[in-house]
Amino acid sequence: MLIELALRNLARTKVRSTLAIIGIVIGVMAISSIGIFGESLKAVILENFKDVANEVIITPNYIHGYTSIDARTVRKIETIPFAETVIPVKSESALVEYRGKKTYVTVYGIDVRKTKDLFELEKGTYKGCLVGSKIADFFKLRVGSRITVARKDFRVTGIIKEGARFDINPNYAVILPLRDFDRVFNDREYSMVIVKVKSIDKIDAFKKAVDKIVNRKENKVSVFEMKMIIERIKNVFGKVTLFLMAIAGVSLLVAGISILNIMLMSTIERTKEIGLMRAIGAYRETILKLFLTEALILGLVGSAVGGALSFLGGYSIDVLILKTAKYVFAPSSIVYVFLGIAFGILTALISAMYPAWKASKLEPIEALRYE
Amino acid sequence: MIELVDVVKKYRIGTHEVVALNGVSLSVRDGEFVVIMGPSGSGKSTLLHLIGCLDKPTSGKVIIDGEDTSKLSDRELTELRRDKIGFVFQQYYLIPTLTALENVELPMVFKGVPKEKRHSRAEELLELVGLKGQGDRKPNELSGGEQQRVAIARALANEPSILLCDEPTGNLDTKSGKVVMDIIKRLNVEEGVTVVLVTHDPSLSDYGDRVVRIRDGRIIHAD
Repeated sequence: MLIELALRNLARTKVRSTLAIIGIVIGVMAISSIGIFGESLKAVILENFKDVANEVIITPNYIHGYTSIDARTVRKIETIPFAETVIPVKSESALVEYRGKKTYVTVYGIDVRKTKDLFELEKGTYKGCLVGSKIADFFKLRVGSRITVARKDFRVTGIIKEGARFDINPNYAVILPLRDFDRVFNDREYSMVIVKVKSIDKIDAFKKAVDKIVNRKENKVSVFEMKMIIERIKNVFGKVTLFLMAIAGVSLLVAGISILNIMLMSTIERTKEIGLMRAIGAYRETILKLFLTEALILGLVGSAVGGALSFLGGYSIDVLILKTAKYVFAPSSIVYVFLGIAFGILTALISAMYPAWKASKLEPIEALRYE
Repeated sequence: MIELVDVVKKYRIGTHEVVALNGVSLSVRDGEFVVIMGPSGSGKSTLLHLIGCLDKPTSGKVIIDGEDTSKLSDRELTELRRDKIGFVFQQYYLIPTLTALENVELPMVFKGVPKEKRHSRAEELLELVGLKGQGDRKPNELSGGEQQRVAIARALANEPSILLCDEPTGNLDTKSGKVVMDIIKRLNVEEGVTVVLVTHDPSLSDYGDRVVRIRDGRIIHAD
């Protein structure tokens, strides 16, 4: 009956109630749409790094005076059970020449069988000298071109597809098979070891094993997880999303003030009615509940509509800015819709608290006498 | 049983103090019909509101069925009004969004009476006031007399022992007024409901067992 009464009270001032609902709809839609967009943006960026999430980079511990990793250490790392693929990498800065043009690049030496685990090729095969796409553009190289690396000639067998890695920048790299690298640079030790761990949740166990097996006596190597960078990115984008949502939240605040306003008007207009209800046996709480119920209905309806429309809003922003809508309905995006709905309902309830309290505090006789 | 002991009620309007009731003592027996008469501003409505626990006296005691109401909390006073007292006002005060039947049900809603039970009781009450089958109509579709009869039905919803009427015929024509007064009298005679009725209309004094005259906040005559 209380709900029925609340519904009819809202229906009494249809335009006013509708406007209040529209306020909530806009507020919820703004918050949720931006939430969806923020989450989609994060997903789009993280997608680039999804292959490297389980990677760990082992570098010499420079602080303790180590500048390279020796073959024995690499063999020890290979024995750790959590490691799926171990890719030792040698590197050196060298002059590369082609048809009179020259530039300094970082040249990497990687086992021919393992380069495919790190890079995708645009053209050619993995079995010889690979060049990054920017280098290829710079020299106008094709598969089969003969380049000079540190005064030794190599035939380009593959061009690496444009991409992003934290350890090796594939776009500016020249990759040689280990044997060729050793021939050019006289048997250097390794500059880093890239390890693909079996799964993300095994990374901690792997790190512990490295400390136990390699760093037992001295801290020879440092272990750096890709996961940390990804966490950092997630963290930053989470904050950006929160900030944008807070701005959108202002519209919900305005909606809340409009509810506060109409509820205050309502308590004044219905003073006599409140007095009558108190006279015939309504507790203060009953009056309080009645007004909160009215606000709750406004909040529920507005939030539900706003929540549904936020998919449309999120879809539009995603398509417009990210050119993809595939993350709009992702579970992590939908969380923001529920968050928006929760905020919408909460705003309506909080806004109604003061008017409801004020109505419940009316003395029956004064309310009845009110003109 | 209603007892008022040396009741004083003062109001403050700005810096001006108004004494609405100045030492009123009165007792009303169970089943009695008392008409309180006085000109406007005499304090008669204030007296009714104090009996109805809608207001509290500045000093003195209002005792309903042996209970000193000044010692009751707001919640207890609400329950007392809900269960023991029925109000009939000059302006009817029906809730405009509710139908006649729902208006009658409202005090039972506040008491927590189950839906089925309050529904049938409300229909009985509408029949009692001569509005059988009119329950679906909204207050604005009813005449003044009909609205007042709905208000009486509402006042009786929780079977109160006391009915307090504040100028119940004040807004009605003579004919509708008579219908309303006959219903109130019948309730008093047949159901034994104690009635305290406040009016300035001398023609209503015949309905009462006793007439109490009040002027300037004091009882000047009681027979």
